[in-house]
Amino acid sequence: MRNFEFFEPTTLAEASRLFAQEHTQLLAGGTDLVIGMKALTEAPQSVISLQKIPGLAGVTTESDNSISVGAMTKVRAVELSADIQQHHTALAEGAAEIGSIQIRNLATIGGNIAHASPAADTVAGLLVADAQVDIASADGERTVSIDELFTGPGQTVLAPGEIITRFRLPSPASGSHYIKHKIREVMDLAFIGVAAAVNLNDGVITDARIGLAAVAPTPIRATEAENLLNGNQLTAELLAQAGEAAAAAASPISDLRCSAEHRSEMVNVLTRRTVQEAVNRA
Amino acid sequence: MSDYTVVGQTVARVDAVEKVTGAAQYGADVHPPGMLYGKIVRSKQAHANILSIDTSEAEKLPGVKAIITQDDVPSGRRVFATDKILYLGEPLAAVAATDPDIAEEAAELIKIEYEVLPVVQDVMEAIKPSAPRLHGDGTKDGPNRREIATQIRRLTRDKENDHSDEISKLEAELENYPDEVYYNISAESHSDAGDIEKGFAECDVVVEDTYVIPRVHQTYMEPHVSVASADSSGKVTVWASTQGPFAIRSGIAGTLGIPLTQINVIGTTMGGGFGGRFGVIITHVPAVLLSQKSGRPVRVQMTREEEFTDGRPAPGCVIKLKTGATNDGRILARQALAFWDSGSVSGASIGSTIRVRGVYKIPNLKVDAYGVHTNKSGTAAYRAPGAPQAIFAGESQLDEIAERIGMDPVKFRLMNMREEGDPIPAGATEPKVGYKETLEAVADAAGWWDREAGENQGWGVAVGDWTNGCGPGGVYVAVHEDGSVRIFHGSMDITGTDTAISQIIAEILTVPYESVTIRRGDTDSAPYSTGSGGSVVTFTMGNTAKLAAEDAHQRILELASERLNMNVDNLELRDGEVHVVTADPPKSILLGELAAYSLSTTGGPIVGKGSFARQASTPALAAQIAKVEVDPDTGRTRVLKLVASQDVGFAINPMAVEGQIEGGTVQGYAWAMMEEMQYGEDGNINPGFVDYRVPTSADLPTVESVIVEVPAPNGPYGAKGVGEPPITPTLATMANAVKDAVGIRVTELPIKPEKVVQALQSNGH
Ligand SMILES: Cc1cc2nc3c(=O)[nH]c(=O)nc-3n(C[C@H](O)[C@H](O)[C@H](O)COP(=O)(O)OP(=O)(O)OC[C@H]3O[C@@H](n4cnc5c(N)ncnc54)[C@H](O)[C@@H]3O)c2cc1C
Repeated sequence: MRNFEFFEPTTLAEASRLFAQEHTQLLAGGTDLVIGMKALTEAPQSVISLQKIPGLAGVTTESDNSISVGAMTKVRAVELSADIQQHHTALAEGAAEIGSIQIRNLATIGGNIAHASPAADTVAGLLVADAQVDIASADGERTVSIDELFTGPGQTVLAPGEIITRFRLPSPASGSHYIKHKIREVMDLAFIGVAAAVNLNDGVITDARIGLAAVAPTPIRATEAENLLNGNQLTAELLAQAGEAAAAAASPISDLRCSAEHRSEMVNVLTRRTVQEAVNRA
Repeated sequence: MSDYTVVGQTVARVDAVEKVTGAAQYGADVHPPGMLYGKIVRSKQAHANILSIDTSEAEKLPGVKAIITQDDVPSGRRVFATDKILYLGEPLAAVAATDPDIAEEAAELIKIEYEVLPVVQDVMEAIKPSAPRLHGDGTKDGPNRREIATQIRRLTRDKENDHSDEISKLEAELENYPDEVYYNISAESHSDAGDIEKGFAECDVVVEDTYVIPRVHQTYMEPHVSVASADSSGKVTVWASTQGPFAIRSGIAGTLGIPLTQINVIGTTMGGGFGGRFGVIITHVPAVLLSQKSGRPVRVQMTREEEFTDGRPAPGCVIKLKTGATNDGRILARQALAFWDSGSVSGASIGSTIRVRGVYKIPNLKVDAYGVHTNKSGTAAYRAPGAPQAIFAGESQLDEIAERIGMDPVKFRLMNMREEGDPIPAGATEPKVGYKETLEAVADAAGWWDREAGENQGWGVAVGDWTNGCGPGGVYVAVHEDGSVRIFHGSMDITGTDTAISQIIAEILTVPYESVTIRRGDTDSAPYSTGSGGSVVTFTMGNTAKLAAEDAHQRILELASERLNMNVDNLELRDGEVHVVTADPPKSILLGELAAYSLSTTGGPIVGKGSFARQASTPALAAQIAKVEVDPDTGRTRVLKLVASQDVGFAINPMAVEGQIEGGTVQGYAWAMMEEMQYGEDGNINPGFVDYRVPTSADLPTVESVIVEVPAPNGPYGAKGVGEPPITPTLATMANAVKDAVGIRVTELPIKPEKVVQALQSNGH
């Protein structure tokens, strides 16, 4: 690890001002950053901790069941939040898939998203929650939708000095589910991840959302598949069509973990499973 | 069952407290004053000629204290690549600096000019004539050509008769095997028994398959590390994380031409070894060279990535196997042709191919095995070296035969197992081993005979055999005036062997286990002992300890005889006291009192010495049964039940034995299901624990272990080697269970989800 300067600002403005400089990194839980620094893939000259800034952590639920999750909320807290478990089950399940309990007690949801790995386990759940991402900088605040946040592997629309403050989950889904395709039961990275969320109106699917991780340069929504589902009752045939449509939306790569074909097939299989389970839960 | 009070009991390990509190000193905890940090400079090419190595820039970097290359190796033995690089990550030089970052920076500053050569990674490619050659030609004939060529040679030698017709016929026959000239061969091994052609001809069923087993790493927790300190007199001290300090001492002496007794090796607590911690040149020799050159102590420590690129993992291999049996279930013939990926040097455990024989009566057997050079690091031992690979092939194929002749896999195995007195090669006969008892025990414990399986569930069984070796060892034992006992020896504690040694000595001297303590010496102080590997330690050091304790026992009785004025025959050591057998009222003397008394006798203190070299052990068998469930859509396999039995001879410490059975079984499971060193065009592409997956406790149910005890004649209390056998059958156990569950035979490990999905699809799923 290279030497660096360490800052612990107590206000967002101060943090943003420091972070606007070149060769800086934010420290949230450190479970991505510190590993990168040890491997020298990251060599920041200054590291700016977000840990002393009040108000960035915690889950709050409004009377309309919309939920706000602070960027510094520990992944473990997301996993265990009763409100998230109830209204955004897929997100809680995604959080529970990250590493181990030790890792989840350190890792933050903000870090998981800002790191912008296409395989991040909370991202599919946030996609199907239609999460709005609040961003602060010295110049003020702005909000982007989660599906507009990512521009490529490890890349986001965040400008120098911009810090994610919270994720707002406007509308609860009555049923949702996340499945991670992996080899090892725990401590594995997603070969692919699929989340589905639905509401049901008299057995008819509304608000279908399908989020796919690790199947394209950025996490994506499978909108074709969603459109097929919306306004219909779930049948085996429809499920099969949705699976195929989701697979068609994916543009995976072959790598040492598995082939692109396998990833596409698993998108199909896991879309069917997550949609079915989301409907069962709704 | 037994009259023993300490052996055969589960006791806390002697090192439990130091491990749990973190007090144990590992290699990286050693930090002599003035220590420098070493870094090995590694090749960034997999196959290349070295045109030049320029260290001048690195030398100028402040903080750099020494740089060494092959020019600094006085004996000329290959420590660093000189003219040719054979694998990605091969050492080219080493740097010592005042700080690890400086050492790393200096390593980057060393400029190497290469002439890049074509690379070969796959064994089946490496044997082809088109393959680049690593070491000369390495040409060898395959089994058929070899036989014909031998005949031609024999006929040619007979000058008295004219064989020219026969010879030209044979030469024409050679042409039938154009693909049987193999290149890049590092070693070969052949054996046969009976008449293989005739054997197959008599079979009703013959099955042939090719099995592909990947290279896997021992993945010990502690990476290789050594700290070396050479003083001005030439004396070299090495703190080494190793399974064999004495082997390291002679290895360093041989490589660097230093007199043996000028080297002291201090074995540090080992963070796992599994056979991979015997290497001399990986870190020890560079550390010594750097210390000699800089005049300061130097630590050389591998990163996890270096462990993968330049460790010495277990070889992968390709085994073409053919087995034949009669419809009533007798195995008549088996033939194997194996290619072992030995990497850049020879040394893969090709001889283990013979393990395809298993513990069965196979009258006709032929095995041809080749070690093949590829552009990878060399290999080393890993828990029963070579056996898991060969047994995976052998036991997978047995199930295929059982299925074809409609026989239960357990019954089929029981029926073919050798029994005591059956002939085995080299004119010997089979000793008493619990082959059938062990398989029956696992079948009973797992509920095999009334097994049930839901949809996509299946059961698999396999057995694996192994024979532990034995080596020399020395142990001293002393009895103190307070009645406590101190043991001194030089073998590294592996898997709890110090605990077993302590138990044996406590048993013989009839003292509580808690009053025995054990100390390990370095190679300067301790008597020689064999390396801690090959399941030999409890067998060897246990026997040695027994001799030492019996020696002390003898001296104790002599002292008591003198003290009590009684004939030795009338004395008995019991519960830490020497009793007069016939005394009425009872009469006895405490061990501590005798130890105190001994100090003022002409005989002197109570010291026992045990010295031992070699004795044959009997084979051990591990039998396992798994129940699995396969998800046919995702290809993921979940283990529902895993039961492992083993004939251990006698369990000196049952909990430690169970720990070995569980550990070996889990490593076998890992090899079957997920572990695999993957290679891209140039080298290993998964050099870390993100993509080299070692299972966690969440992947498996608790392994149920079943201890079977058929005493080994020469083992201490009948014990035999325990550590290695449990890894041997698991690869096949898993493959057989997957086959039973969803009907696909995976012959290429690991059984990854993608492979399962593909196989099911080609089966029409
Ligand atoms: C052993 C292990 C296992 C893991 N397993 C998984 C897994 O299964 N699934 C998975 O998805 N991940 C996994 N990870 C990765 C990691 O734990 C997660 O991505 C984690 O959520 C990162 O959060 P953090 O708080 O630790 O981020 P940090 O490491 O502190 O930061 C990561 C990056 O995000 C930036 N950042 C952090 N917070 C903000 C913010 N509020 N605004 C803007 N930028 C910010 C930082 O500048 C940095 O570049 C694993 C990591 C380890 C070490």
